[in-house]
Amino acid sequence: MNPHRYALFPGCLMPTEQYALELSVRATLPALGIELVDLPGLSCCGEPMKSVNQTLTLYLSARSLAIAEKNHLSFFAPCPQCHLALHETNIILQKNPAMMDRINDMLKAEDLHYTGTTKIVHTVDLLHDIIGLETIKKHVKHPLTGLKLVVHYGCQTIRPKELGRPDDSENPQKVEEILKTLGADPITDYPQKLDCCGAPLLPNKPETALTKTGQKLQAIQDLGAAGVVDLCPWCHKMLDSRQSKAGETVAAKLDLPVLYLTQLLGVAIGIDPTKLGLDLNLSPVHKLNLTGDKP
Amino acid sequence: MRKIGVFICHCGINIAQNVDVEALTKYAATLPNVTVAENYKYMCSDNGARLIKDNIKKHALDIVVIAACSPRMHETFFRDLLTEGGANPYRLEIINIREQCSWVHQDKTTATDKAKALLRSGIAKAQYHEPLTPSHVAVIPEALVIGAGIAGIQASLDLANDGFKVHLVDQEPTIGGHMAQLDKTFPTLDCAACILTPKMAEVANHKNIELLTYSHLQSVEGSIGNYTIKITKKPRYIDTIKCTGCGDCATACRLKDRIPSEFNEHMGNRSATYMPFPQAVPLKYTIDPHKCLYLTKGKCGDEPLCKKACAQDAIQFDQQPETIERKVGTIIVATGYDLLDPTALYELGYHHQQDVITTLELERLISSSGPTKGEILRPSNKQPPKSVTFILCVGSRDETQCTWCCRIGCMTALKQIYLLREKLPDIEINLCYQDVRSYGKGYEEFYRKIRAVNTNLFRGRPSEIRPKGDALTMDVFDTTTNKLYEIKTDLAILVPAMVPRHNATELARLLRLTLSGDGFFLEAHPKLRPMDTFVAGVFIAGCCQGPKDIQDTVAQASGAASRAATILSKKELEIDPMIAWVDEDACTGCGICVDICPYDARTINEKNRIAEVNAALCTGCGGCVAACPSNASIHKNYTKKQLLNMVDNIM
Repeated sequence: MNPHRYALFPGCLMPTEQYALELSVRATLPALGIELVDLPGLSCCGEPMKSVNQTLTLYLSARSLAIAEKNHLSFFAPCPQCHLALHETNIILQKNPAMMDRINDMLKAEDLHYTGTTKIVHTVDLLHDIIGLETIKKHVKHPLTGLKLVVHYGCQTIRPKELGRPDDSENPQKVEEILKTLGADPITDYPQKLDCCGAPLLPNKPETALTKTGQKLQAIQDLGAAGVVDLCPWCHKMLDSRQSKAGETVAAKLDLPVLYLTQLLGVAIGIDPTKLGLDLNLSPVHKLNLTGDKP
Repeated sequence: MRKIGVFICHCGINIAQNVDVEALTKYAATLPNVTVAENYKYMCSDNGARLIKDNIKKHALDIVVIAACSPRMHETFFRDLLTEGGANPYRLEIINIREQCSWVHQDKTTATDKAKALLRSGIAKAQYHEPLTPSHVAVIPEALVIGAGIAGIQASLDLANDGFKVHLVDQEPTIGGHMAQLDKTFPTLDCAACILTPKMAEVANHKNIELLTYSHLQSVEGSIGNYTIKITKKPRYIDTIKCTGCGDCATACRLKDRIPSEFNEHMGNRSATYMPFPQAVPLKYTIDPHKCLYLTKGKCGDEPLCKKACAQDAIQFDQQPETIERKVGTIIVATGYDLLDPTALYELGYHHQQDVITTLELERLISSSGPTKGEILRPSNKQPPKSVTFILCVGSRDETQCTWCCRIGCMTALKQIYLLREKLPDIEINLCYQDVRSYGKGYEEFYRKIRAVNTNLFRGRPSEIRPKGDALTMDVFDTTTNKLYEIKTDLAILVPAMVPRHNATELARLLRLTLSGDGFFLEAHPKLRPMDTFVAGVFIAGCCQGPKDIQDTVAQASGAASRAATILSKKELEIDPMIAWVDEDACTGCGICVDICPYDARTINEKNRIAEVNAALCTGCGGCVAACPSNASIHKNYTKKQLLNMVDNIM
């Protein structure tokens, strides 16, 4: 069996609005030898319900984990929030056999059973640790030479540290290393690097949320960066889709290209740009002239 | 026919509440060879002791079994009772029915049954206890002190003044340790140099102290009373007899002011030939073999300028390391501490912000003999700061780094605030703390004084330190006012955790010392034997045992010296006879015991090809007994017959 065979965990945002993430994931990873499998019957990761009903979160995550286990597959969850929910459920159930029994009682109704063996990877560790920088380097056809980018990690890719996340919680560098492999010239650290994108505050305090987004983007623009690379559909929703609104909120003229890591990766390894959903980004990605068209 | 007396202790209610002592006593009386069985509320009390002694005399007992607490508590005390009563002190068996029975069980019936089983098996072993006589070893009345910071200096002077010869070893070119780096000490604001340098000079001139600086411990052999130590003296590349400490070589050095000075915590520079600070003891220069052009590259221009400059002709590039041997009776370890490297906490920016420094670095800036001659200048632009912020507990009391309190951080920061106020009266000073722990004599009063000198105190830890323009900024949530503050500051001072010396594990292996979970050396008992270790004759003093301030360090150092003097003042020491011996008829001379013995106590006698035990080195660990293929290695009063009898009786 192909060891690089993963079940794609789509979550909610990717199939309902962040199509660019799904398109770029589905286009780039197979080119690097990853086989993506769509499992029928997957549900919500459960994270949105965690503050209200933790058992429900565990049940929802475990349900998907059980489906993957039944198919002898590991999960690839491009959304950091889904990755965290699945990963945390694994840890809780392994530490708490009573809860594992309780969840399995609930799973019985669908003739499912979970023992705790499903592994979960995220874009960052899949690219950096599993595929590896050497392999990526071999695939680079159009190096992003000299592109001065900054990385926005978001929160769940690196935290909470105690649970073990794809990258370091205080000084994450794996994405920068991937970008260097692609030929780009990322700014490895900047004061606002770990600042929040604002998304968690959006439903309740939209003004505050957009202020956070605007302040961060403005600081990045002042740094002189050519663009922002992000990983999380929630972050992208703020930094890309709501960029103009965030600019209005902080009275700044924001004009900063924001892309998913997988979109840039696709461009660099020579995937047809039309398959990467670049036209779906609302930020001015054309400024980077990635498609090779003359401006 | 052996006469056994059994004595069972209630330990107040510690044992009696879970073990039926009366039933146990009655049961004991029924066991073979038991002449008398008694119980008492506290066997370790005067009355208990008398009970044991009187019974030994009355019944002419030859074996005593005591069921009480762990033998670690009172074994020596009970042995003395046997001697006083007229029995051989090694025919004593202590059965632990407290830690291993009453304390760990809640059901009285089960605990009593277990106590009976333990007692039965203990008596089965005691049946075969032989009378033993301890041998004696002469004590060498000299001591080795490792580390010449304030702890090592104090311990050496105490012992030397008691009339014992002391060999004081330090790996640095000078003695003084961390205390020499300090400007003032809290809470009295004594000048550190003023109180330390006289002691350093006294060490250098004391007839009973042999000072071995720039040296390290190579090996340690032997045991209490008779240790053989090998010490390697690193080459200074300077003849210390000729060197007058004039400094002409340092002035001439091609690398003058180009090598970060360790003594100044990299806040200033030195030459490749250097003396850490002007009051160094000994007052001799040293050439840094890792930096000197001539020593690293074999060439320094046309000729080494230091050699040309030295009027005494003291420079000797061909010096070699020298290993010397000393024999001592006791060892005091006083190797001190390291500070946590704050780069471990990336978010505080220590490694990428020039203006984030540690308390020890600030101490060198404050010091009038420091690299800035006492001027407080920001490392980034060499200008005085307008605002300074202290951050306490950097890595201390932090689950991700060090769980312990450094015990000096709060007071160090408060002291430095006082000193900064004197030098820069108009600047803003902030202090971010978790708790201010001003626990010592005069400390709380000092803290109140600082609160009154216009200091902003925030009860909270900044989440991170960021650059903002040419200053620094940090957010801190103050839990006393429930408000989030943004502090903009010019200089951030981190108060790092106190951690074990980087080579503590190596030294522990050399001396066979135990480390506690935090990596500091473990004391034999936290309350009652704080200077002792589990290795007889080796004592610990100062921060190598755990974080402490100068007051406590000096007190512990004097304590350790006194503990060492107790041994050194004896002509000879008794050696525990409960060690290995060899049944010469069974020994084949195979030598397995020689290989297995971790204490080098076993040798093969070349004449008769039979193994021998060096009683002074044997600790009675039993390794050779387990390893011997011909059952020739026997542990006295722990014989195979005794142990099998125990097992038979407990099953």
